[in-house]
This record gives sequence, C-alpha cells and structure tokens, in this order.
Amino acid sequence: MSAQLELKHINKNFGGLRVINDLSFVAQPGQITSLIGPNGAGKTTLLNLISGIYQPDDGDILFDGVSIVGLEPHEITQRGIARTFQTLRLFLNMSIIENVMSASFSRAQMNLIDIVFRTPRFRREEQRLRNEAEEKLGFFGSRLVGYRFDQPAYSLSYANRRRLEIARAMMTNPKILLLDEPAAGMNPNETLEVTALIGQLRDEAGYTIILIEHDMSVVGGISDHVIVLDHGEKIAEGDFEDVVTDERVVEAYLGRKSS
Amino acid sequence: MTEQRIGTDEWVEQHEARLATQSELRELVYGFGEQLPLWGRLGLLLLIGLFVPVLTSNPFHIRIAATIALMATLGVGLNVVVGYAGLLDLGFVAFYGIGAYAYAYLSSDFTGVHLPTLLTIPLITVLGAVVGFLLGLPSLRLVGDYLAIVTLAFGQIFVQLMTSLTRVDLSWVPFLTTDGPVNLTRGPNGIIELDSISIFGFVADTLTENYIIRLVVLILVLLFVHHLNNSRLGRAWRAMREDELAAEAMGMPTRLLKLQAFAIGAAIAALAGTLFAAEQKAVFPANFDVTLLITLYGVVVLGGLGSLPGVLLGAVIMIAVPEILRDIELASLLFYVGSVVALIGLIKPRRLVGLLLLNVAIIGLLVQVIAESIWPDSLAELPSVASVFPEFSVSIRFVTAIIDSLPEIVTSIVRNWLAIPVGNQELIGNIALAILIVLILIASRIKQTTQLLITLVPTMYLLALVWEIRLSGQESVTRLIFVGVVLIVLMIYRPHGLLGTQRIEIV
Repeated sequence: MSAQLELKHINKNFGGLRVINDLSFVAQPGQITSLIGPNGAGKTTLLNLISGIYQPDDGDILFDGVSIVGLEPHEITQRGIARTFQTLRLFLNMSIIENVMSASFSRAQMNLIDIVFRTPRFRREEQRLRNEAEEKLGFFGSRLVGYRFDQPAYSLSYANRRRLEIARAMMTNPKILLLDEPAAGMNPNETLEVTALIGQLRDEAGYTIILIEHDMSVVGGISDHVIVLDHGEKIAEGDFEDVVTDERVVEAYLGRKSS
Repeated sequence: MTEQRIGTDEWVEQHEARLATQSELRELVYGFGEQLPLWGRLGLLLLIGLFVPVLTSNPFHIRIAATIALMATLGVGLNVVVGYAGLLDLGFVAFYGIGAYAYAYLSSDFTGVHLPTLLTIPLITVLGAVVGFLLGLPSLRLVGDYLAIVTLAFGQIFVQLMTSLTRVDLSWVPFLTTDGPVNLTRGPNGIIELDSISIFGFVADTLTENYIIRLVVLILVLLFVHHLNNSRLGRAWRAMREDELAAEAMGMPTRLLKLQAFAIGAAIAALAGTLFAAEQKAVFPANFDVTLLITLYGVVVLGGLGSLPGVLLGAVIMIAVPEILRDIELASLLFYVGSVVALIGLIKPRRLVGLLLLNVAIIGLLVQVIAESIWPDSLAELPSVASVFPEFSVSIRFVTAIIDSLPEIVTSIVRNWLAIPVGNQELIGNIALAILIVLILIASRIKQTTQLLITLVPTMYLLALVWEIRLSGQESVTRLIFVGVVLIVLMIYRPHGLLGTQRIEIV
C-alpha cells in the first residue's frame, strides 16, 4: 500500500522560533491519522503547511507521490486536499447552499459566455452542482437540509457551523480531508456524533483523514494511526493504546514524574 | 410533513425578529420584486425609464434622469468590485475617464479618427477591461486600506496626466515625424467636438436620445452583472469578500478572481465613460475628479453594498435630491417633514410626538405675542397665509393647485408662526444656531422621556427659526449640508444601506 500523503523532514521556523522540527510521517489511504499533542505543539501549523498556507523552510510534502510544495493553496485543494479550520471560517453572509456550492468553483464547467447567456450547459451544470451540494449536506441528517438551504450561514448554531464546514470541504471532492479540531466547542452528545461521522467519512465516503483533536475519546474511538507532536517534533507514533502509554507522551502532557 | 426547525436557539430567534423589523423597506421592494421574473423586473425598469420623456419635456428633468442612468451604470460596475469582491477601489473613476478619453481619440477631429460607434463601444469596453486587469496586477498583494491608497493614487495620476500631457516630446518614437512637442490631451481645455453616437444610421444628437441609449445600456449591464452574481463567479467573489483565506483554501483562485472583478468593473466604467463623452461631446480632466468618486461611493453605499436594486435607488437619491433642493420652498418642506419623521423615529411611544408638536406650536405663538408686546414693530411683516392659498373651487384643478403650492403654503404658515425679526437677521440667526447646537447636544445625552420632551420643545422652535432666517436663504451651502445630514442620519439608522442586507460578523 503506497502512502497517500508523505511528509519528509519538514522544518518550519517563525522568526527564531522552530515550530516544526525535522518531521516525517505518512498517511495511508482510507485511514484516519490523528495528530495529537499539547497546545503549541505545532499541529495546526502542520495542517497549514500541508494545505499550502505556509511554505516549509525545508523538506518535501508528497501527495500520491508528487510534491505539492510551492503550490498555491487553491491548487493543492484542486488536487484533492481539503481542510476545515480550527477557528471556523465560513462565508457567514452567504446562504448555506452557496457556502457549499462555492467550494466547487474549479469543477464547474462553465465559461463567461455560458454565464452571461444562461446556456443549457450553464443550467445543467448549476443543477448538477446544486444536487451535489444537497447530497453533501444530506450527509449530516436533517440538520442542514430543506428550508435551511437558503438561510444565511450566520443563523446556524456552533455545532452546525462545524458540520457545514465539513460539508464545504467535502464539496471540493478531496481525497484527503484535513480536520482541525472538529469537535471543539461541542457538548458530549455532539462529540459522540462527530466521532461517528468521521468514521462514516472514512468508511462510506472513502476519504483519507488527517485529524487534529484534543478530545481523547474522539481520537481513541476512531484513529487508525496516532502521531504525537511536542515542540514540533514527533515523539511517538502507532496505535492509540501504544501511544498513550508511552512515557514521553505522558511526560509531554503531564510533566516529568518527580522522583 | 412539517419540518421541525433545528438549531434555532434563542439568539437566532431574536436575531431573526430584529431582521424582520429592520428590513421592512427591503421586504417591500423585494417582496414585490420576487413575484416578477428577472425580465419582468428589467422590463418594468425600462418602462418607467421610457416614461420620463413622455411625462416631461423639460430638458432639466431629462438631464437629471440621464445623469441618474449614467451614475447607476457606474454604480453597478463599482458594486462588482466593492460590493461583491470586497476590494476598496478608489481609482474607479479613472476607468470611466479612460473610456471617455478613448472615445474622444476614436471619434473626433482632434485625432482625425472617426470610427463607427458599433466598433468603438466594444473596443473601449475591452480596453477598459485590459487596463483594469493591468492595474489589478500590482494591487494583488494589497488589501483593505493599502489597496484604497494605491488605487486612489491611480485615479489622481490619471487626472494629472490628462491635465498636463500638453507638451510631450515624441521625437524618440520611430516612424513618427513631429515638429516639436505634441499636445496629447489639450490639458484643462479638454478635447471637444466629439462625434455623437450613431448606430445603423441613427444618430443620437438630442439629450432624450442619449438618455434612452443610457437606459438601454444600464439594463443590459444590470442583466450582465445579475447573471455573473448568480453563478460560480459571483459565489466565489462573495466568498472571497467574506473570508479570503478560506476561499483560497476551498479551491478558489483568489488572485485571478480579484483581477476578474477589477477588469469587469473597469469595463463597465469605460463603457459608461463612452456614453458620457458622446453626450457631452467633449471631455475635460475635471469631469473625473474626486467629487465624482465620492458621489459614486455615496450611490453604492447608500443603496446597500452588493445590492443591485440598492444601486438604482442610491443613484436616484444621490442625484435627484440635490437637484430638488435647489427650490427653496421644496427644500423647506422636506426639511420640516424630515424633522418630524426624525422625531417619530426618536420618541417612543409615538403619540408623544403629537403632544410635542402641539407644545412647539403653542410656544411659537407665545413667543410671537411676547415679542410683539415688548418690542412693538420688531417683527417682520409677512404676506398672510391666505395670500399664497389657491383660489377655492370645486374641481380637480383646485386639488392639483393645492398640491403644487403645498411647499409654499407650509413655508408661509411656518414663517407666520415664527417670530422673525426685522433687522439683524444674520446675528440673531447665528446666536440661535449656536444655542441650537448646544440644545441638540444636550438632547442627545438625555435618556428620560419627559426631560427629553421638555428639551426638544425649544430645540424644534430654534430649528425652524435657524432654518428660516439663516439657512434657507443660502441655497448652495444649505443644499450640501442637507444632503450630508440626510446621509449621516441614513447611515446611522441603516448602516447596511437602504436595500442592503445587514451583514453579521460573529466568530
């Protein structure tokens, strides 16, 4: 099985601060790879590096064996890596369906002439994208469907905003989904539901998922592979059970045992 | 099957209730508009527009209508850049100027080139798009204020160049033989005697013909922009306006989208410039200065950024209101009606407004009686209200006469009610203005209703006095102050514009 995403010796500095230090890992297709670690370990920075918002100082990122370093974020997305944001970044003043449809920009087969003259191709394409967007929103049960399609995104509750962000990322037709703390700010019930949902995204939709999460119940429940970061370095890797009992991991989270 | 509403917590409900009360005007316009298909709406606009020259043959009125149509076209173009793509472009007027000057070069004796209009219009529109695209390139890395400064400079450079390119040394250009410096723009004197627009032998010489051409272009541009907005392009622009980074991360090429917005906005501006130059039959650098830019932003912001009906309404208000205010009595009527409307908005419960106005009326009469008895002959003799009242008859003519002389009647009633001194009007007016400002400041700090009402009684009286003896006489200044005050009040009560959607930014 060849790796879907491979990071090779990535380094990243902000000023004099080393945020990511010689980090390498692989994500296997169809698996959930979880990144955990204390605050400030460099998890979100890593996601920003993969999605092209930051450029690594050193090292290489391979997607399906091809380097994606130096590409613009939208080019990386078009190749099949979509993400959500830890601090929600929805298009708040657009409707829910528009939020999702906007993410299909690069896939829409229409040129300026189609748009201006409303050609049959335009209508067909708009209808196709709308159906697709409705289908993606349908993934979340009845929460984001029906009368909600045309409501502005700001009218959604916090948990639904998180769901909408995942739907929007799905609309780019990615192979890899980067989820940055999808359960942040959710209550225990919603967290359970998100956990189940991420499992569905892997099993039914077939995405490779890279997950950042602080909630260990989420990580433990669904991860195929767990990577622990601390101060920009990988300190442990493997199954959830192996990793959480690792001495260095316990130390990173709880501090050194006084002897 | 009724769908249960999920996710409506208290906050959402409150917010929706607020939206419902705040957007009555919007609902009224959109509620009517939504029942009509797009072609119906545009057809209605065309019909209303065509009705203007039927209703009036007064060239002054038609000129106002023609200016509105032109400003609305420009506003729609600016709306693409600012309203949809969220790029604060202060150099927009330069594209308008480029269109106008390009028309001057392509259809006048100045260059000796006389291309047919059917060729110049597409040519200039494409030229506008290209220049917009090129100007967009260096602006790509700039956002917000920085973009505004750079584009503002571009607008200024254009005006400066057109003013000063009068002695250009072109001897270095190969294959061009010139004797001495060349006058490229004729400077502030402008390029004059341009050709009229002529399409298939139809020559638009008169103002009315030009107005109809502008109207048709406006409708085509509206259709074009409406279609753009409801496509992947419009969605991507608005997504970019909301959150540029998120848009980029969701696969939208934000740099290209910005350039496209610049180019399309510039193309529309250049097209409008063509129509402007062809009607004026001349172009001058002063036509494209900052004043126009401010008016244009007034149009777009007043109507509501991102709303096409809003741009139309904004253009009507920004162009028509200052013209209406040239008539002193009409301005007075608007002033009084506006003051009363402001009171109705300010005071709750609303029945207190009636009480307040009654008190103001009584105070006015008291002041007059007291002034007469202390200083006899100090008040100005005015024609009585009856003298401006039209002669009574039982006919429709009487009703129209009443409507026609309504501003005069209202002004006369107010002037007779006020104690207007004979001499020293300027001094008394200035003192009254100073007191008025203090009173307004005090009134704005008062929260308790009774105290507010007591303060407002002398405030309203002084407001009328100051208007009558100090402001209404100086029409040119008052007009602008009035427009400014209207804009300030509007933007305070509807910060999202008349027909704009209220934007929410909560993380």
